[in-house]
Amino acid sequence: MFSVILYGRNDSHGYNLHKRAAISFNALAEVMSDPDDEILFVDYNTPDDHPTFPEAIHDTLTDKAKKVMRVLRVRPDQHVRHRLKTHLVALEAQSRNVALRRSNPRNRWILYTNTDMLLVPRDERESLSDILGAIPDGFYQVPRFEIPEMLWEAAFDRRDPVGNLAKLRDWSVRFHLNQVVHNYMPMKYDALGDFQAALREDMFAIHGFDEDMILGWHCDSNLAARLALYRGRVDTLIDKLFGYHCDHTRVAAANNKGRATRMNDQDRFIWNVATPYVPAQAETWGWPDVEMEEIRLDRDTAYQRFTAGLDKVIEPATAPFVETSLEWQLFDDLTYDLPHTLPFVCDQVVTFPRSTALMLVATRSDFVSSFAKAWKGMGFTGPILIPEECGGLPADLPGVERAPFAEQLSSAELFIFEFGLATQTATEPVRAGREIGPIDKKRLKVAERLFKRAAATEADTRPDGRRVPRRFIGVNVIYNKFWQTFTNYVGANINPFCSQVLAGPPRQDESLKGKVLKFRGRHAL
Amino acid sequence: MADIGILRAAIAPVRRLWRRPAAVEIAPKVGDDEEDARVHFRDGLVKRRGGNSEGALAAFDRALALVPEFADAVMARAEILDSLGRSIEAHAEYERARGLWSELPPGAADRRYVFRRQGYFAFEAESYNLVRTNVRSKILPQLAHGNARLARGRAAEALDSYERALKVNPKLVEVLALKGEALSALGRYEEAIQIFDGVLAANPKDGDTLNGRGIARAALGRLADANDDWRRQFELLPQTSSAARACVAMRMGNCSAAFNEFALAVAKEPNNPYWLLYRLTAARLAGAPAELVTLPADDRWPTPLLAFRTGQVTEEVLLHRATSPARHAEARFQMGVLAVDGNPAAARRYWREVVDQGPPALIEFAAASNELARLGA
Repeated sequence: MFSVILYGRNDSHGYNLHKRAAISFNALAEVMSDPDDEILFVDYNTPDDHPTFPEAIHDTLTDKAKKVMRVLRVRPDQHVRHRLKTHLVALEAQSRNVALRRSNPRNRWILYTNTDMLLVPRDERESLSDILGAIPDGFYQVPRFEIPEMLWEAAFDRRDPVGNLAKLRDWSVRFHLNQVVHNYMPMKYDALGDFQAALREDMFAIHGFDEDMILGWHCDSNLAARLALYRGRVDTLIDKLFGYHCDHTRVAAANNKGRATRMNDQDRFIWNVATPYVPAQAETWGWPDVEMEEIRLDRDTAYQRFTAGLDKVIEPATAPFVETSLEWQLFDDLTYDLPHTLPFVCDQVVTFPRSTALMLVATRSDFVSSFAKAWKGMGFTGPILIPEECGGLPADLPGVERAPFAEQLSSAELFIFEFGLATQTATEPVRAGREIGPIDKKRLKVAERLFKRAAATEADTRPDGRRVPRRFIGVNVIYNKFWQTFTNYVGANINPFCSQVLAGPPRQDESLKGKVLKFRGRHAL
Repeated sequence: MADIGILRAAIAPVRRLWRRPAAVEIAPKVGDDEEDARVHFRDGLVKRRGGNSEGALAAFDRALALVPEFADAVMARAEILDSLGRSIEAHAEYERARGLWSELPPGAADRRYVFRRQGYFAFEAESYNLVRTNVRSKILPQLAHGNARLARGRAAEALDSYERALKVNPKLVEVLALKGEALSALGRYEEAIQIFDGVLAANPKDGDTLNGRGIARAALGRLADANDDWRRQFELLPQTSSAARACVAMRMGNCSAAFNEFALAVAKEPNNPYWLLYRLTAARLAGAPAELVTLPADDRWPTPLLAFRTGQVTEEVLLHRATSPARHAEARFQMGVLAVDGNPAAARRYWREVVDQGPPALIEFAAASNELARLGA
């Protein structure tokens, strides 16, 4: 019957964002009763190494919310063409159009709202699907009522949407919450963007949201203006349901800077709108030709993929614990425990697109064969690119492509550099004072040279059309000689030794030292 | 401060008088029932904004006494009753308003968006009138007000609104096109065509304007030119817009195309009785085999036309039910369709009446013009 369209980003903004979003997702799912109903969440421009916002809070969502939610992931590299034109990191019009294009065509209605809304049918026996199924074609809005921040923070249980809706029915009377704020036509109500129900067919006819609106604010008013022209009328559903907003003004939203807030031009996008259509984007709105990643919370989750990958390559531990040490005298010992390290490496890659082409430069053949199996097991379809310069590695692993480093460099979308000892065996003790042998030295030298070249030339060797820096993952680069090498070139955080892994984008160091390092890296001196 | 306070107190009654909204206590008779009802409706809105709920309810009741199916007034009553806690009464009124709106037949699918929706649009006309007095020198309030009036057949008011919008930006082709529509609705076809020509010079692929120019050209008897416009519009319409394609095919007398497209339109919108009627019509004129028709359960227009086509209603009854010039033209057109095989002279007579007396924007007007041309009349 209807597709709810929401958008957001996993950027930890505001201390109570996760709570109000979980409350809202669960409450929206609760008022759905048609098998075709869906919540489309566009996760816009979350960093590649982060999970999407709904994945980050999945444990607070009800089974029903997880079942009806489709997450469409817009990657930073897909946003980058807008980056110079806007101060915002998440674009509403683009997000909502991406979802509209990919919404369930069997649904008659599209409902635009936000991740802090609860919709309460006035007749408890009715679902929102029932309500929308019974009303004539039109463009509908409801007034927004505010819930004081303390109330929802203190009294709502994220995973109890039925209880939350019951509380709202009670509070609305006890605390006089229901105040309708009228507004000029075509807006009809204040804060109209928290409930705008339009026919899917109408939204396609008017070419979706206006994608020129990239400075934030008024997207809802623009939509109201255009749909009011197109339909002739703005209808209300106030008799059918009330919409409640989890007030969150203690911490201002990212696009709210008080009087200094930059916003879309009201005259252009509201008061001087002259047509329902946006013909300039008729063929392009919602990025119809872009293959969009879709993530489900009820199946094929990141955890399921992670375990599927690792279960293929590591057996359960047979001892209560294993030991290593970061004592200073062991600084040159590059042994590490592969079964312990591999989960931390997989953790670094699992959020990337499945089609990612990964360059793997390594010294240990058992690392390569284990990681390659885990990569496949996690559902990745992109190739693992291993430069021919890396000797002593398995030659014919499925999904692995061998070619000269220089040829592969501009195909790689992600890098792993592993600095271990080629001669380490599976049974020998870790960090017990092992010396580096001639073969180890030779392989490490190659890995180091390729790493420096890749990092120093990253900006110049990106795949065609890519503008976002690629990420470098370093394996076994903590508390040993490669820590400095790696962090000279990569902007990595300080990680615990136990994780064995550092990661980050290439460093942008404009100091003399940085320039020298870059020069040396380019020429692998 | 004290002096100012005394002065304020002294002039307070005058200030109150000055600020009092211009409520219409006794509405003067301005014309037809609908316009009188609209005056009461406006009065109700003013009273409601002023916090006088009971006065507003009374005004809406007066409006409904004149035009019982005035959905805007029913909806306004519902909202007041709801806000007064009379939710059960309100619920019935909300449902009644929605029912009344959805009973209004939709407009022709091949025309500009403003003609595709039916309604009174009284709330919109009043609301945008208020907006344009507060948000001055802007396009949207004028345009939306004009659309609300044009959709209700008040083309002169619409033209005034569009001209005000064009004062803000005289080059806006979207508004120029609407001005052309208003002129056409006023019978000023030459002026309309001149404007449409300018719009199409700027955007030759503007299907809505091609449609509008076709209507104006047909009204002037330039049928071949009109058909050229509609043919071009038909080519521009996407395959998915079956209802629009069907209507424009019907207009230009391409009955086999109309027959096929209306089949798709019926599949998409089975509850639209016009698509069913037009499919029957196109079938008959294209010589396709007749199909069984199930009449809609209600007796609202255009069901009498379908009943006539299936032999369940006589010409006299049909004409009695045709209570407006447009409906009369629709009825005469169907009489011609029914007569054409056995009595072409009678068909010619019916269709001539449609062309001589019917509104040129009607699909039937264009279709009758083309059928007459085909018959050599």
